[in-house]
Amino acid sequence: MMDWKRLLHWAELAGMALCLCAMGGQAVFAAGQAEPLRATAVQSFCAEGDHPDALAKLVGLGIQGDPVNRAWANTVVMAIRDGELICTPRGGAVISRNGRNLDAVTLAPAQVTPSGTPYVPTIVMMRRLAVATAEMDLFSEHRDLREKAAAQVSKFFMLLDPDILRQAIQRQGDADIKATLELAMAKRGLYSSDKREQLAAIKALGEAPSESSRTLLTDYLANDQVRAEPQLAKAAEAALHSIDQRLSIGKALSVLFSGLSYAGILLLTAIGLSIIFGLMGVINLAHGEFIMLGAYATYLVEHAMRVYVPSMFDAYIFVAIPVAFVSCGLFGVLLEFLVIRFLYRRPLETLLATWAVSIAIIKLVQLVFGSQNVEFITPSFLNGGAQVIGGFFVTYNRLFAIAFSLLVFLATFAVIRSTRIGLLMRATTQNRDMAKCLGVPAQRIDRLAFALGAGLAGLAGVVLTQIASVNPFMGAGFVIDAFMVVVLGGAGSLLGTAVSSLALGEINQFIEPFYGAVAAKVAVLLIIVLIIQKRPNGLFTVKMRG
Amino acid sequence: MLMKKRLEQKVEFGFVALIVMLAVYMPVSLYLFPQGSVFSLSLFSINLIGQIMSFALLALALDLVWGMAGMLSLGHGIFFGIGGYMMGMYLLNVSFAQTHVLPDFMQYMGWTDFPPLWHLLSGFGATLALCVLFVTMVATLFGIVTFKSRINGVYFSIITQALTYALMLMLFINDVGLGGNNGLTGFTRILDFPLSSVSTQVGLAVVACLVLAAAYLLLRFLAGSGLGRALVAIRDDEARMRFLGYKTHVIKLLAWGLSAVLAALAGMLYVPQVGIVNPTIVSPSLSIEIAVWVAIGGRGTLIGAIVGAILVNGLKFWLTAAAPSVWPFILAGVTLLITIYMGRGLWGEAKGTLTRMVR
Repeated sequence: MMDWKRLLHWAELAGMALCLCAMGGQAVFAAGQAEPLRATAVQSFCAEGDHPDALAKLVGLGIQGDPVNRAWANTVVMAIRDGELICTPRGGAVISRNGRNLDAVTLAPAQVTPSGTPYVPTIVMMRRLAVATAEMDLFSEHRDLREKAAAQVSKFFMLLDPDILRQAIQRQGDADIKATLELAMAKRGLYSSDKREQLAAIKALGEAPSESSRTLLTDYLANDQVRAEPQLAKAAEAALHSIDQRLSIGKALSVLFSGLSYAGILLLTAIGLSIIFGLMGVINLAHGEFIMLGAYATYLVEHAMRVYVPSMFDAYIFVAIPVAFVSCGLFGVLLEFLVIRFLYRRPLETLLATWAVSIAIIKLVQLVFGSQNVEFITPSFLNGGAQVIGGFFVTYNRLFAIAFSLLVFLATFAVIRSTRIGLLMRATTQNRDMAKCLGVPAQRIDRLAFALGAGLAGLAGVVLTQIASVNPFMGAGFVIDAFMVVVLGGAGSLLGTAVSSLALGEINQFIEPFYGAVAAKVAVLLIIVLIIQKRPNGLFTVKMRG
Repeated sequence: MLMKKRLEQKVEFGFVALIVMLAVYMPVSLYLFPQGSVFSLSLFSINLIGQIMSFALLALALDLVWGMAGMLSLGHGIFFGIGGYMMGMYLLNVSFAQTHVLPDFMQYMGWTDFPPLWHLLSGFGATLALCVLFVTMVATLFGIVTFKSRINGVYFSIITQALTYALMLMLFINDVGLGGNNGLTGFTRILDFPLSSVSTQVGLAVVACLVLAAAYLLLRFLAGSGLGRALVAIRDDEARMRFLGYKTHVIKLLAWGLSAVLAALAGMLYVPQVGIVNPTIVSPSLSIEIAVWVAIGGRGTLIGAIVGAILVNGLKFWLTAAAPSVWPFILAGVTLLITIYMGRGLWGEAKGTLTRMVR
């Protein structure tokens, strides 16, 4: 009697054994095949025929799932790129690296010493080699290798092999990388011979708006052959239109963002001036130099941290904040003590005196640090940016500037509104004599306010090191803008400074793309003069009591 | 009191006489005394004196609006620059008529001829008239906008600074057609005299001295007149003047216009002597420096403005050659000293001491 169970069991085992044998056999077969395959690939490269074709064969070997083959192919391609491949007369090749000779097929030490000269790739070939390594990397296990490879392939989309790319897209698990590859496929598809492929490519590009896809479609449309085909031309125009729409939104956001960052800078530079001017009526033409001193203080901190504490280098900007604030504050106290306090109630003389101090400071800094721009290394977390939507790229350093300005403004507002010192400052601004009668030490408050104003200018200098160029003459450009902000906003009013810096920053950035920076400045000036006509003391005036 | 007035008059006339004597001495020393003798002035010194005299005229113009009317303008460089650039355009016209070679910047821009607007400035008389007209227009426009809305004090000064900054930025642009940041240069003749000849240079310096003397006499006459007294009253208390029925904005406008014309004349005298006009002439720092000259010399005294301009510019020319890195510190130190301790300026203090001595 047949035991069906036992038969099934044996059949299973036999089947598994057969499978294993087959796989093993295949592996052995593959391994056995690998060497001849590799040899053929190398041979076809060395035979003075079509190098790109032979390269494609190498890449074909490399993209097979087998990591060993891929590593081999990578090695050979890189050797070709580095000019280390020497072809032997019998069709084989030797990789000569650092004096050691390896056989190209087996990667074992070579038996023969090659006599020929290594193959030197042409410039076009170099690009193909780069694309080849990228194509192979698309199949690697490491995600960041695949990401880099995808970006590379997308950049040189004309040189890639569509079949390989299709395989790569199929096998990609990661959604972002797949999207990059599909975009690269679309770009390639624009230039394929199949009309359907072109249409699909146009549609895909239309849905991925960016400056580069716009340029691609515009160039594509400029082609006479394309224009001759109404279906293609219409599709391309429709895609371009939708890209333009999305890009214009991005551009508008971009203008708003840069206006915001410019407003942040204006706010930081003007807030100290507003406090000093509102409280003491002092025009401080040395304010720009305090900004410059803050920037140079940041430079010293950056330099010191680079030399002594390189592991925490990125934090230099946070260390520089208190350093610049305190050092500029001290300079402010010094200036007040040596010069300003003798010129109380003489605003025009103060103007000239502070101007004199400013030229002395500029010359001093010039003598110590030199006149050329000072180089800064951006901290790693402020480097680069993110693409929010097509046409709108947010850079982290400007984002930092906006956030920092807001923070400083809120802190200053809190100090002026909620602390006792702020109360004393406000009292001295509104009615100096009465405050003195009530025991407020007006002179000391003056000194403190001047220190605060100078310190805030120093903070502006810290942020400006990441955005503008730093040299001894940088202050002059900012001081006039800061004064315009204070004149418009109303001296002494923090809210006025904030509102006017926002307004002026945005207006300036709106006008600049159309008419240029100079016209923007002149226009802003005219607007201020017109507004001053109606409100001669600025938009927000501090109510004086008595 | 009478003696003080007579002494003052003597001092003022003496000052004018000094300037005229200088004007006479310059050609005399050059032609009569041999070079190298202690009485002779080198051509270089004469040219320097001429430039300083034009700066002195500019300082005089500012003293009119600041010292007498109380408006600190930190943008007088605008008028100086307008005069300078128009003179430069005229000089290029005349040079082209002689050499038939277009200026470098025009060749660079690809022009084949002067722009049509430039042809208006081909004669000296036309240039002078147009310059005065244009400067008056600009000054009046600015005056109407600011004086009527009673923008005073530091706000006024800051706005003038911003305007001169904007003008400087505009002149840096090549497309404006005024030479960009290189400016206008390469002048060969003025009227019918070659600029390179010794007699022309001496003549220019002499003319500068004489124009300065004439301007000073004019302003001195003005100061003594009703208009001058009204200006001083406006400086001291504008609201009161308004309540008394004076149209203060009209009076200020008159002084402002005159000052602008004098500044433009200074520019026209300066440019042929220095041989170049570029946007630095309207830089904010130069406009502030004018105020510094007047402050150091003594504002409100007219003579003080001239003295301040001569002193500071003389020092500057000497020290920027001898010790260039020290000059800003010296200027800063002198300015600080004078603004803090000698509020009336050098000449103001000297006059005060003299008056006290006479009593």
